[in-house]
Amino acid sequence: MNIDSYNARRKTASRTIKAFFPGLSYVDGSTVLHRAHPLVKLALLLSFSLTVFALSPFLPSVILFVLLMTGYGLAGLGLTFFSRKLRFIFIFGFIIFIVQILSVREGFLFWTVSLGKIHLDVWSEGFWGGLSMMMRFVNVIGSSYLFVATTDPNRLAYALMQVGLPYRLGFMLITALRFIPLFHMELAQVRNAQMAKGIELEGVSPRKMIKYVRYLLVPLVISALSKVDLLAISMESRAFGLYPTRSYMETQVLSPKDRFLLPAIPVLFAAFYFFFQR
Amino acid sequence: MAKFSKQPFEYEDNLLKSLLKYGVHVILILYILRKKRGKQGVVEPVVDIRDLTFTYSENSIPALIDINFKVLPGEFVTITGDSGCGKSTLALCLAGFIPSAFPGKMRGTVCIQGKETGEYLHGGLSGIVGLVQQDPEAQLCTLSVKDEVAFGLENLCFASEKIRENVQFALAAVGAEALLDRKVHTLSGGEKQRVAIASVLAMNPSLLILDEPTANLDPHCTEEVLRVLENLKKKRKTSIIVIEHRLDRLLPLSDRLVVMKRGRIVAETIPAVNGKPDALTTSAVRLPPVSSDEIRPGVSLLQTDRISNNPLLVVENLSAGYEGKKILEDISFSAYPGEIIALMGDNGCGKTTLLLALLGVLPLLKGKIFFGGEQISMMKVNRRARSMGLTFQNPNHQIFENTVLKEARLPSFFLKDSSCSEDEQEIMHFLEKFDLLQYKDKIPFALSLGEKKRLTLVSVLAYSPKLLILDEPLVGQDRDRLKLLLDALLDHSRKGGLTIMICHEPAIVASWCRRILFLEKGRLRINAPTEVALEKLSELGRDEYLPPYGYTGLTYGERMPG
Repeated sequence: MNIDSYNARRKTASRTIKAFFPGLSYVDGSTVLHRAHPLVKLALLLSFSLTVFALSPFLPSVILFVLLMTGYGLAGLGLTFFSRKLRFIFIFGFIIFIVQILSVREGFLFWTVSLGKIHLDVWSEGFWGGLSMMMRFVNVIGSSYLFVATTDPNRLAYALMQVGLPYRLGFMLITALRFIPLFHMELAQVRNAQMAKGIELEGVSPRKMIKYVRYLLVPLVISALSKVDLLAISMESRAFGLYPTRSYMETQVLSPKDRFLLPAIPVLFAAFYFFFQR
Repeated sequence: MAKFSKQPFEYEDNLLKSLLKYGVHVILILYILRKKRGKQGVVEPVVDIRDLTFTYSENSIPALIDINFKVLPGEFVTITGDSGCGKSTLALCLAGFIPSAFPGKMRGTVCIQGKETGEYLHGGLSGIVGLVQQDPEAQLCTLSVKDEVAFGLENLCFASEKIRENVQFALAAVGAEALLDRKVHTLSGGEKQRVAIASVLAMNPSLLILDEPTANLDPHCTEEVLRVLENLKKKRKTSIIVIEHRLDRLLPLSDRLVVMKRGRIVAETIPAVNGKPDALTTSAVRLPPVSSDEIRPGVSLLQTDRISNNPLLVVENLSAGYEGKKILEDISFSAYPGEIIALMGDNGCGKTTLLLALLGVLPLLKGKIFFGGEQISMMKVNRRARSMGLTFQNPNHQIFENTVLKEARLPSFFLKDSSCSEDEQEIMHFLEKFDLLQYKDKIPFALSLGEKKRLTLVSVLAYSPKLLILDEPLVGQDRDRLKLLLDALLDHSRKGGLTIMICHEPAIVASWCRRILFLEKGRLRINAPTEVALEKLSELGRDEYLPPYGYTGLTYGERMPG
């Protein structure tokens, strides 16, 4: 056995899980969507998601999906990115579709599939309902992912604080974002440290998952708590929470175009909804 | 005559009047001048602590006892002492966090700029006292350098123009203007610490407290931070208190050295450049011995101290990395029984990656590892761990059990085929030797950093692996404990064991290690006996990795008792 095949055989839980779920993070860029004001994008995401939930027919779902794909195109995140990062959405969506087909027996019979002794009836309500639910799932998760991939979380948090979000809440988001990669790194270090003590943490099985939680969680939580203490001292020693409000070095100014778009976006989606609802 | 006789009288009368008139003026002027001079002559201290005793509510033993301490404007004071001696508690008192955020019983007064800390509003000391802590990673709370440095000023509701001005000034003061638009997670350890200092300096504090600012940094980053402190001392009037164990490069900057022991200030001295500190100070802290001759016999002895000519560990063309990134490339070296090898290099050069690859925690991308003549490149971690004991930089990552004794036993439980009462005795012996026996039933997480480090080393020594792989094992140890640890390593090498340790203290490397492996950007730049390696480092201009002039670590006699 050579090194490559040995490495391929080595699997850890984190690597397996990571391979399945995409990294949900901001992708640096300078496209129209990247440059747009975070609040405008937030209004767009909320309006889009509400419309997806409100409209059940298949056709508007497809139109919204096309709109979403246009968004991905505008953000410079091509089909490869979509298929690579969002593969799991389609897999889950397809599972939802299959479950609907198997469980709903209403409408008229589309066709029957025979697999040896097993006969599978596909009913119209199950088929269209499944497709619609799949599209909803893909649209909602896909749009959220597009928002995350094109919005600098720091800019978003500062924009929200400047329009009235209490700054303590805003900094909850910022510090969480700051510490996610840190804790990810800490988890890897704890895992390495426990392995060095002879505790086997390679491979994936329910028994091993319990072992991971047991040996990784305690040191990780202790480490996190000590960091929280240091962070609290660091923030308070720099006057965090001293006054009810705070000033900002850079203000996230809304341009006249943004001021127009903010109310226009919900109105446009409302019009779209009423058009198809009729 | 009458006229004549009247004249002297009139003259005397006028003289008296004039004397009275001008005398009062003169006295008044003198009084005002004296008062003015008095005001100018007596400089008000920035810090004035009187009879301070503090006991944490969960402890019965006071953390600080009868502290009397003053710091004048512009003064640079270094505080040092054993781990757990109360240095950080003192810093928290000065920053106003004690007793407001850490409950306990406090007696005495702590005055900052003539006002007791208790008289300030909650958080009111922000902007007057700036506190920079040990872990640069945990004290930065925003995502970009710009936001981090502006953070305090924004909280103090300064106008945006003023914030911009102060941010520029603070970054310039720490030589980090180029970092303005960088994201925090992309910074190196030294850069993070400089940003942390800038974020405090931007608020223009009268007192800057740095609690072990270089503890987690390599010599290169340490040098960066010390240069910043030197500049601040030269160019600004800010009083600076630095709490530090590693004094070799800090002493020349300090106006005063304060030594603490068990909650008390036990010595105060004025350290002179290359001067010899008094005996009390020397006994309390890891201070540099003066003669450079003391060390040479030790080095030469260790060079001939090879037990066997057959290498215990052979690494051939090793490449390793993680998450698709290649960190190490083409590393080849051999290590022999009885050696203590120092692994050195800047943060991020791949030192820890190499240690993890040796143990198999990180997979090899290329190359082979032989241990005791057997190829182990594809051996499982838990099998390799039987002959390789690894301790990590942060002991919190390694500790798991709920008592010190159980924690010391844990690796032996997994890595030894059978356990007997002798093993138990061995563990108790190590706990006693490493001054941990009194904590055997305590929670290991409650120990100090230095104690945790010793505990992780005990847990490894307890199952007697042939190879010790240690990531900065000496951090947080006072002079006596340091010697204890180094003696244990020497014992291990005398028994034919091999030690590879990451160490950021050139003076200790120079006096205790037989060989240096120096990594640079993932490649092995130097693999040579210590003396030769130090010469090569000097040629490469890496002076920060050389022991300071006159600093030679512990003496040979101290190192090899008996």
